[in-house]
Amino acid sequence: MKLDFEEVSVAGLAKSYGPTLALAGVDLSFEAGTVSVIQGSNGSGKSTLLWLIAMLAYPTRGEIRYGQHGVARADGLRGRIGFVAHQLQLYPGLSGHENLLLAARLQSIAYADRRATDLCEALALGDYWNRPVRTYSRGQAQRVSIARALLHEPRLLLMDEPATGLDEKSTESVVDLIGQEKRAGAIVIIVTHEAKFASAVADRILHMDRGRIVEPEG
Amino acid sequence: MNTLRAAWLVTLKDLQLELRTKEILTSTGLFAVLVVTLSSLAFYTDPLSAPDIAPGVLWISILFCGILLIGRSWALERENDAVFALLLSPIPRASIYIGKTLSALILLFMVELLLVPLCLIFFQIEPSGVMLPLLALVFLGSVGFVSTASLFSAVGIRTRARDLMLSVVVFPLVAPALLASAVATRELFGGASMAEIQNWMRILGAFDLLFVSFGVWISRHLLAET
Repeated sequence: MKLDFEEVSVAGLAKSYGPTLALAGVDLSFEAGTVSVIQGSNGSGKSTLLWLIAMLAYPTRGEIRYGQHGVARADGLRGRIGFVAHQLQLYPGLSGHENLLLAARLQSIAYADRRATDLCEALALGDYWNRPVRTYSRGQAQRVSIARALLHEPRLLLMDEPATGLDEKSTESVVDLIGQEKRAGAIVIIVTHEAKFASAVADRILHMDRGRIVEPEG
Repeated sequence: MNTLRAAWLVTLKDLQLELRTKEILTSTGLFAVLVVTLSSLAFYTDPLSAPDIAPGVLWISILFCGILLIGRSWALERENDAVFALLLSPIPRASIYIGKTLSALILLFMVELLLVPLCLIFFQIEPSGVMLPLLALVFLGSVGFVSTASLFSAVGIRTRARDLMLSVVVFPLVAPALLASAVATRELFGGASMAEIQNWMRILGAFDLLFVSFGVWISRHLLAET
């Protein structure tokens, strides 16, 4: 059963990879209908934060809450999370269509075909729909990855550098889609280096440095 | 979604990928042909000594084809970090292990359907009377081997030493099943009946049950964080 929530909060969140401290105690909360953008230099812990919130890694210490639910209810919560990772997590041997259908079936989405087609139209995926993903450009694969993250109308949308490889027109359509998700009540958390993209979508911008949330310089 | 339904979707995805590329079947099939051909030429045999050598050749071929096949199957999951598409889905973790094991088993059976007749032909073993019990032995031996190797491949998604782990951990673990399979096959080729090799089959059945159950139980913990 899919669980719902209106807020995601992290408290004292820390993550170490061996001797390397990737997150050094982060306290934050994210509310429904808001877009939060996280910026920071390479290795500042932005992507680690997303991976922990996506429940793809366990924190070394600290806690993540999805409304009233903790990570112990992961199976029910995963059906409400969409994730666009930097590595696109698509099967290169399958077409964009097959990747989306696989995700739709694993998410138990009724009318999976209809939903996938709507998203493809919104992201202009039409022409290369049935070719294997390994023949796609980075931008084309990025759009499939974004479509997959939106397929099940997630409550929590996590995006790691979503504008990478996209041309101006595609970036605009992604900005529009993020706006739609926000209006539909999604909690959107985006990691990006692109200032123009960030200012186009963000309700608030957070900065990270050496595993902590910091005040922006200047 | 229930575990078996999700596992079947994972299996179908693997078979669909293989149908598209034929990469795994081509490489392991050619490897199997090569091993059996070279062995039949290297161990120049007469009809009397052939039944003693054929079981070793058959099971060594199955072992290496299996390792090749399972390694490639999990390598596809690591490409583009695609396995995280499965890990992000609201499906039981065990279903990923079951699905990957089932697809590897189906593909290995397809290779074995080529391997077994080749072995019988090259080592001049009369197929009538041995074919059915031999296929049963190959089935039981493969289930134990694939379920164990898949489990450690799952562990190795993010381990750099995954190949080392396969050879150092999996080979000793599956040794009892492989020994039982090889000895039972030798008995069979030596003229033993189905009833006479039933004890070996029971041992293999028990090994399969143990490793499949253990794999299903432990995989939900092993795949929780990769």
